[in-house]
Amino acid sequence: MPEAAAGQAREVMEVDGIVREALPNALYRVELLTEKRGTATAHAGGSSGLLRLRPGDEVVVELMPYDMTRGRIVRRRS
Amino acid sequence: MSMQKSWSELQTMHRACTLVVGALDVLEEAAVPGITTEELDRLAFAFFKKNAAKPAFLGYRGYPATLCVSINDEVVHGIPSPKRRLKDGDIVGFDLGCSIHGLFGDSARTVAVGKVSDQALRLMETTKAALYAGIEACHPGRRVGDIGHAVQTLAEGRGYSVVREFVGHGIGTSLHEDPQVPNYGPAGKGKRLVPGMTLAIEPMVNAGGPEVRVLDDEWTAVTVDGSLSAHFELSVAITEHGPWILSEPYPYAREAAHA
Repeated sequence: MPEAAAGQAREVMEVDGIVREALPNALYRVELLTEKRGTATAHAGGSSGLLRLRPGDEVVVELMPYDMTRGRIVRRRS
Repeated sequence: MSMQKSWSELQTMHRACTLVVGALDVLEEAAVPGITTEELDRLAFAFFKKNAAKPAFLGYRGYPATLCVSINDEVVHGIPSPKRRLKDGDIVGFDLGCSIHGLFGDSARTVAVGKVSDQALRLMETTKAALYAGIEACHPGRRVGDIGHAVQTLAEGRGYSVVREFVGHGIGTSLHEDPQVPNYGPAGKGKRLVPGMTLAIEPMVNAGGPEVRVLDDEWTAVTVDGSLSAHFELSVAITEHGPWILSEPYPYAREAAHA
Protein backbone atom coordinates (compact mmCIF):
# COMPACT_ATOMS: atom_id res chain seq x y z
CA MET A 1 0.00 0.00 0.00
CA PRO A 2 1.67 3.22 -1.06
CA GLU A 3 2.12 5.98 1.46
CA ALA A 4 1.00 9.52 0.75
CA ALA A 5 4.09 11.51 -0.18
CA ALA A 6 5.54 13.51 2.72
CA GLY A 7 3.73 16.70 3.58
CA GLN A 8 0.36 15.29 2.58
CA ALA A 9 -0.15 12.70 5.31
CA ARG A 10 -3.48 12.84 7.10
CA GLU A 11 -2.99 13.60 10.76
CA VAL A 12 -6.14 12.20 12.28
CA MET A 13 -7.51 8.69 11.94
CA GLU A 14 -10.85 7.32 13.03
CA VAL A 15 -11.10 3.90 14.61
CA ASP A 16 -14.10 1.91 15.79
CA GLY A 17 -14.26 0.82 19.41
CA ILE A 18 -16.46 -0.38 22.23
CA VAL A 19 -16.79 1.38 25.59
CA ARG A 20 -15.56 -0.95 28.33
CA GLU A 21 -15.52 1.22 31.42
CA ALA A 22 -16.72 4.65 32.43
CA LEU A 23 -14.07 6.65 34.31
CA PRO A 24 -14.46 9.97 36.14
CA ASN A 25 -14.44 13.28 34.28
CA ALA A 26 -16.12 12.04 31.09
CA LEU A 27 -13.29 9.65 30.40
CA TYR A 28 -13.97 6.18 29.11
CA ARG A 29 -11.83 3.16 28.59
CA VAL A 30 -12.52 2.05 25.04
CA GLU A 31 -11.45 -1.19 23.44
CA LEU A 32 -10.37 -0.47 19.89
CA LEU A 33 -11.38 -3.03 17.30
CA THR A 34 -8.61 -2.35 14.87
CA GLU A 35 -5.47 -1.44 16.74
CA LYS A 36 -2.82 -3.70 18.19
CA ARG A 37 -3.06 -2.08 21.58
CA GLY A 38 -6.21 -3.22 23.24
CA THR A 39 -7.47 -0.08 24.88
CA ALA A 40 -7.50 3.64 24.63
CA THR A 41 -8.63 6.17 27.14
CA ALA A 42 -10.96 8.44 25.33
CA HIS A 43 -12.44 11.73 26.35
CA ALA A 44 -15.97 12.45 25.25
CA GLY A 45 -15.99 16.07 24.22
CA GLY A 46 -18.62 18.06 22.41
CA SER A 47 -22.20 17.06 21.93
CA SER A 48 -24.49 15.96 24.72
CA GLY A 49 -25.38 12.49 23.43
CA LEU A 50 -21.92 11.37 24.30
CA LEU A 51 -22.30 12.20 27.99
CA ARG A 52 -24.37 9.15 28.67
CA LEU A 53 -22.14 6.47 27.24
CA ARG A 54 -22.25 3.11 28.96
CA PRO A 55 -20.08 0.03 28.76
CA GLY A 56 -20.97 -1.86 25.60
CA ASP A 57 -21.72 1.25 23.51
CA GLU A 58 -20.09 1.24 20.10
CA VAL A 59 -18.28 4.45 19.30
CA VAL A 60 -15.89 6.02 16.82
CA VAL A 61 -12.63 7.28 18.29
CA GLU A 62 -10.37 9.84 16.68
CA LEU A 63 -6.66 9.14 17.16
CA MET A 64 -3.53 11.13 16.46
CA PRO A 65 -0.39 9.24 15.44
CA TYR A 66 1.57 10.74 18.34
CA ASP A 67 -0.23 8.78 21.03
CA MET A 68 -2.35 5.88 19.87
CA THR A 69 -3.51 5.07 23.39
CA ARG A 70 -5.55 8.23 23.86
CA GLY A 71 -8.19 9.60 21.62
CA ARG A 72 -11.41 11.53 21.37
CA ILE A 73 -14.80 9.91 21.05
CA VAL A 74 -16.36 11.70 18.12
CA ARG A 75 -19.67 9.90 17.72
CA ARG A 76 -21.74 6.93 18.62
CA ARG A 77 -21.79 4.15 16.05
CA SER A 78 -25.35 3.24 15.19
CA MET B 1 13.66 3.48 15.58
CA SER B 2 16.26 1.34 14.07
CA MET B 3 15.73 0.78 10.39
CA GLN B 4 17.98 -2.26 10.28
CA LYS B 5 16.33 -5.61 10.84
CA SER B 6 17.98 -8.62 12.43
CA TRP B 7 18.26 -11.91 10.62
CA SER B 8 15.39 -13.40 12.62
CA GLU B 9 13.20 -10.36 11.92
CA LEU B 10 13.95 -10.77 8.22
CA GLN B 11 12.92 -14.43 8.47
CA THR B 12 9.54 -13.41 9.88
CA MET B 13 9.10 -10.72 7.23
CA HIS B 14 9.99 -13.35 4.64
CA ARG B 15 7.07 -15.45 5.91
CA ALA B 16 4.71 -12.48 5.89
CA CYS B 17 5.73 -11.49 2.35
CA THR B 18 5.43 -15.07 1.13
CA LEU B 19 1.87 -15.18 2.46
CA VAL B 20 1.00 -11.89 0.78
CA VAL B 21 2.23 -13.17 -2.56
CA GLY B 22 0.35 -16.44 -1.96
CA ALA B 23 -2.82 -14.44 -1.43
CA LEU B 24 -2.13 -12.44 -4.60
CA ASP B 25 -1.84 -15.75 -6.50
CA VAL B 26 -5.28 -16.74 -5.18
CA LEU B 27 -6.73 -13.38 -6.25
CA GLU B 28 -5.15 -13.52 -9.69
CA GLU B 29 -6.77 -16.94 -10.18
CA ALA B 30 -10.13 -15.58 -9.01
CA ALA B 31 -10.05 -12.42 -11.13
CA VAL B 32 -12.58 -13.46 -13.76
CA PRO B 33 -15.35 -11.34 -15.28
CA GLY B 34 -18.39 -11.06 -13.01
CA ILE B 35 -16.79 -11.45 -9.60
CA THR B 36 -17.34 -8.53 -7.24
CA THR B 37 -14.41 -6.79 -5.62
CA GLU B 38 -15.93 -7.51 -2.22
CA GLU B 39 -15.80 -11.25 -2.91
CA LEU B 40 -12.12 -10.84 -3.72
CA ASP B 41 -11.62 -8.99 -0.45
CA ARG B 42 -13.23 -11.88 1.42
CA LEU B 43 -10.90 -14.34 -0.31
CA ALA B 44 -7.90 -12.32 0.82
CA PHE B 45 -9.20 -12.06 4.38
CA ALA B 46 -9.90 -15.81 4.54
CA PHE B 47 -6.43 -16.59 3.21
CA PHE B 48 -4.74 -14.53 5.92
CA LYS B 49 -7.01 -15.93 8.59
CA LYS B 50 -6.25 -19.50 7.54
CA ASN B 51 -2.53 -18.76 7.75
CA ALA B 52 -2.71 -16.95 11.08
CA ALA B 53 -1.58 -13.66 9.63
CA LYS B 54 -3.16 -10.32 10.45
CA PRO B 55 -4.43 -8.20 7.55
CA ALA B 56 -2.28 -5.07 7.57
CA PHE B 57 -4.59 -2.67 5.76
CA LEU B 58 -7.82 -3.41 7.68
CA GLY B 59 -8.19 -0.46 10.01
CA TYR B 60 -4.95 1.17 8.89
CA ARG B 61 -5.72 4.89 9.13
CA GLY B 62 -9.37 3.82 8.98
CA TYR B 63 -9.07 1.78 5.77
CA PRO B 64 -12.13 -0.51 5.77
CA ALA B 65 -10.88 -3.65 4.00
CA THR B 66 -8.14 -6.27 3.69
CA LEU B 67 -7.55 -5.63 0.01
CA CYS B 68 -6.99 -2.57 -2.14
CA VAL B 69 -8.45 -3.24 -5.58
CA SER B 70 -7.92 -0.59 -8.23
CA ILE B 71 -9.50 -1.05 -11.64
CA ASN B 72 -8.30 0.59 -14.90
CA ASP B 73 -7.92 4.35 -14.26
CA GLU B 74 -7.89 3.77 -10.50
CA VAL B 75 -4.27 4.05 -9.40
CA VAL B 76 -4.27 2.69 -5.84
CA HIS B 77 -6.36 2.36 -2.66
CA GLY B 78 -9.59 1.24 -4.37
CA ILE B 79 -12.05 0.04 -1.73
CA PRO B 80 -13.74 -3.33 -2.37
CA SER B 81 -17.48 -3.07 -3.00
CA PRO B 82 -20.33 -5.56 -3.46
CA LYS B 83 -21.55 -3.42 -6.37
CA ARG B 84 -18.34 -3.43 -8.36
CA ARG B 85 -17.84 -6.36 -10.73
CA LEU B 86 -14.79 -7.14 -12.83
CA LYS B 87 -15.38 -6.96 -16.58
CA ASP B 88 -13.63 -8.60 -19.48
CA GLY B 89 -10.83 -6.26 -20.58
CA ASP B 90 -10.25 -4.64 -17.17
CA ILE B 91 -6.83 -4.38 -15.62
CA VAL B 92 -7.02 -4.76 -11.87
CA GLY B 93 -4.42 -3.79 -9.31
CA PHE B 94 -4.39 -5.92 -6.16
CA ASP B 95 -2.51 -4.53 -3.17
CA LEU B 96 -2.23 -6.56 0.03
CA GLY B 97 -0.33 -6.54 3.29
CA CYS B 98 -0.24 -8.70 6.39
CA SER B 99 1.70 -8.98 9.62
CA ILE B 100 3.07 -11.93 11.56
CA HIS B 101 4.29 -11.34 15.11
CA GLY B 102 4.15 -7.62 14.43
CA LEU B 103 6.33 -7.73 11.31
CA PHE B 104 4.85 -6.68 8.01
CA GLY B 105 4.83 -7.73 4.38
CA ASP B 106 3.36 -5.64 1.57
CA SER B 107 3.01 -6.44 -2.11
CA ALA B 108 0.92 -5.58 -5.14
CA ARG B 109 0.42 -6.58 -8.73
CA THR B 110 -1.83 -5.63 -11.62
CA VAL B 111 -3.52 -8.43 -13.54
CA ALA B 112 -5.60 -8.69 -16.70
CA VAL B 113 -9.24 -9.79 -16.58
CA GLY B 114 -10.04 -11.85 -19.67
CA LYS B 115 -8.66 -10.34 -22.85
CA VAL B 116 -7.14 -6.87 -22.52
CA SER B 117 -5.74 -4.43 -25.08
CA ASP B 118 -2.11 -4.51 -26.18
CA GLN B 119 -1.63 -1.05 -24.67
CA ALA B 120 -2.78 -2.33 -21.30
CA LEU B 121 -0.42 -5.33 -21.50
CA ARG B 122 2.49 -3.08 -22.38
CA LEU B 123 1.69 -0.74 -19.48
CA MET B 124 1.61 -3.67 -17.05
CA GLU B 125 4.86 -5.13 -18.41
CA THR B 126 6.55 -1.75 -18.15
CA THR B 127 5.42 -1.19 -14.57
CA LYS B 128 6.70 -4.61 -13.55
CA ALA B 129 9.98 -3.98 -15.34
CA ALA B 130 10.24 -0.62 -13.55
CA LEU B 131 9.78 -2.38 -10.20
CA TYR B 132 12.62 -4.79 -10.98
CA ALA B 133 14.79 -1.92 -12.21
CA GLY B 134 14.23 -0.29 -8.82
CA ILE B 135 15.08 -3.50 -6.98
CA GLU B 136 18.29 -3.81 -8.99
CA ALA B 137 19.40 -0.51 -7.45
CA CYS B 138 19.10 -1.94 -3.92
CA HIS B 139 22.74 -2.42 -3.10
CA PRO B 140 24.36 -1.22 0.10
CA GLY B 141 26.12 2.09 -0.34
CA ARG B 142 23.70 3.31 -2.98
CA ARG B 143 20.94 5.72 -2.09
CA VAL B 144 17.17 5.83 -1.99
CA GLY B 145 17.19 8.26 -4.92
CA ASP B 146 18.91 5.63 -7.08
CA ILE B 147 15.81 3.44 -6.77
CA GLY B 148 13.42 6.20 -7.85
CA HIS B 149 15.75 7.23 -10.63
CA ALA B 150 15.87 3.68 -12.03
CA VAL B 151 12.07 3.37 -11.89
CA GLN B 152 11.45 6.76 -13.48
CA THR B 153 14.04 6.29 -16.23
CA LEU B 154 12.55 3.00 -17.31
CA ALA B 155 8.89 4.07 -17.19
CA GLU B 156 9.36 7.45 -18.84
CA GLY B 157 11.70 5.90 -21.41
CA ARG B 158 8.70 3.95 -22.68
CA GLY B 159 6.49 7.03 -22.83
CA TYR B 160 4.64 6.62 -19.54
CA SER B 161 4.55 8.74 -16.40
CA VAL B 162 5.09 7.90 -12.74
CA VAL B 163 2.79 9.01 -9.92
CA ARG B 164 4.29 11.56 -7.50
CA GLU B 165 1.63 11.84 -4.79
CA PHE B 166 2.12 8.30 -3.53
CA VAL B 167 5.44 6.69 -2.74
CA GLY B 168 7.02 3.46 -1.58
CA HIS B 169 8.17 3.23 2.01
CA GLY B 170 10.23 1.49 4.60
CA ILE B 171 8.48 -1.52 6.10
CA GLY B 172 9.08 -3.68 9.16
CA THR B 173 7.53 -3.28 12.58
CA SER B 174 4.88 -1.10 10.98
CA LEU B 175 3.34 -0.99 7.53
CA HIS B 176 4.88 2.37 6.73
CA GLU B 177 8.28 3.36 8.10
CA ASP B 178 10.99 5.76 7.10
CA PRO B 179 12.36 6.33 4.59
CA GLN B 180 9.89 7.22 1.88
CA VAL B 181 10.84 5.72 -1.48
CA PRO B 182 9.60 7.93 -4.33
CA ASN B 183 9.40 6.49 -7.83
CA TYR B 184 11.15 9.49 -9.31
CA GLY B 185 13.98 11.87 -8.58
CA PRO B 186 17.69 12.30 -9.01
CA ALA B 187 20.15 9.44 -8.56
CA GLY B 188 22.71 9.71 -5.77
CA LYS B 189 20.40 11.61 -3.41
CA GLY B 190 18.52 10.55 -0.31
CA LYS B 191 19.29 8.17 2.49
CA ARG B 192 22.10 5.70 2.02
CA LEU B 193 21.07 2.05 1.73
CA VAL B 194 22.55 -0.20 4.41
CA PRO B 195 22.25 -3.96 4.99
CA GLY B 196 19.18 -4.85 7.05
CA MET B 197 17.02 -2.06 5.65
CA THR B 198 13.67 -3.22 4.32
CA LEU B 199 11.78 -1.25 1.70
CA ALA B 200 8.49 -1.61 -0.11
CA ILE B 201 9.18 -0.51 -3.66
CA GLU B 202 6.05 0.20 -5.63
CA PRO B 203 5.96 2.02 -8.94
CA MET B 204 2.55 3.37 -9.98
CA VAL B 205 2.72 4.06 -13.70
CA ASN B 206 0.11 5.94 -15.74
CA ALA B 207 -0.43 5.59 -19.48
CA GLY B 208 -1.20 9.33 -19.65
CA GLY B 209 -0.12 12.16 -17.38
CA PRO B 210 1.19 11.68 -13.83
CA GLU B 211 -1.59 13.64 -12.10
CA VAL B 212 -3.91 11.81 -9.74
CA ARG B 213 -6.80 12.85 -7.55
CA VAL B 214 -8.48 11.17 -4.60
CA LEU B 215 -12.23 10.48 -4.80
CA ASP B 216 -14.80 11.48 -2.16
CA ASP B 217 -14.37 8.15 -0.36
CA GLU B 218 -11.01 9.67 0.74
CA TRP B 219 -9.09 6.63 -0.47
CA THR B 220 -9.49 5.74 -4.12
CA ALA B 221 -6.89 7.53 -6.24
CA VAL B 222 -7.65 7.88 -9.96
CA THR B 223 -5.77 9.40 -12.87
CA VAL B 224 -6.94 12.94 -13.61
CA ASP B 225 -6.97 12.33 -17.37
CA GLY B 226 -8.76 8.97 -17.04
CA SER B 227 -5.83 7.02 -18.48
CA LEU B 228 -4.99 3.48 -17.40
CA SER B 229 -2.71 2.98 -14.42
CA ALA B 230 -0.74 -0.05 -13.23
CA HIS B 231 0.92 -0.81 -9.89
CA PHE B 232 3.45 -3.45 -8.87
CA GLU B 233 5.04 -3.75 -5.45
CA LEU B 234 7.46 -6.02 -3.62
CA SER B 235 9.04 -5.80 -0.18
CA VAL B 236 12.82 -5.97 -0.42
CA ALA B 237 15.60 -6.31 2.13
CA ILE B 238 19.01 -4.77 1.49
CA THR B 239 21.68 -7.38 2.21
CA GLU B 240 25.41 -6.96 1.95
CA HIS B 241 25.24 -8.90 -1.33
CA GLY B 242 22.37 -6.91 -2.79
CA PRO B 243 18.59 -7.08 -2.81
CA TRP B 244 16.56 -9.90 -1.28
CA ILE B 245 12.98 -9.94 -2.53
CA LEU B 246 11.41 -11.01 0.73
CA SER B 247 8.67 -13.10 -0.86
CA GLU B 248 11.33 -15.31 -2.43
CA PRO B 249 13.91 -17.62 -0.83
CA TYR B 250 17.11 -16.00 0.36
CA PRO B 251 19.08 -15.78 -2.90
CA TYR B 252 22.66 -15.73 -1.64
CA ALA B 253 24.96 -18.28 0.01
CA ARG B 254 23.59 -19.29 3.39
CA GLU B 255 26.67 -18.74 5.53
CA ALA B 256 26.89 -15.18 4.28
CA ALA B 257 23.42 -14.59 5.66
CA HIS B 258 24.62 -14.42 9.24
CA ALA B 259 27.46 -12.01 8.61
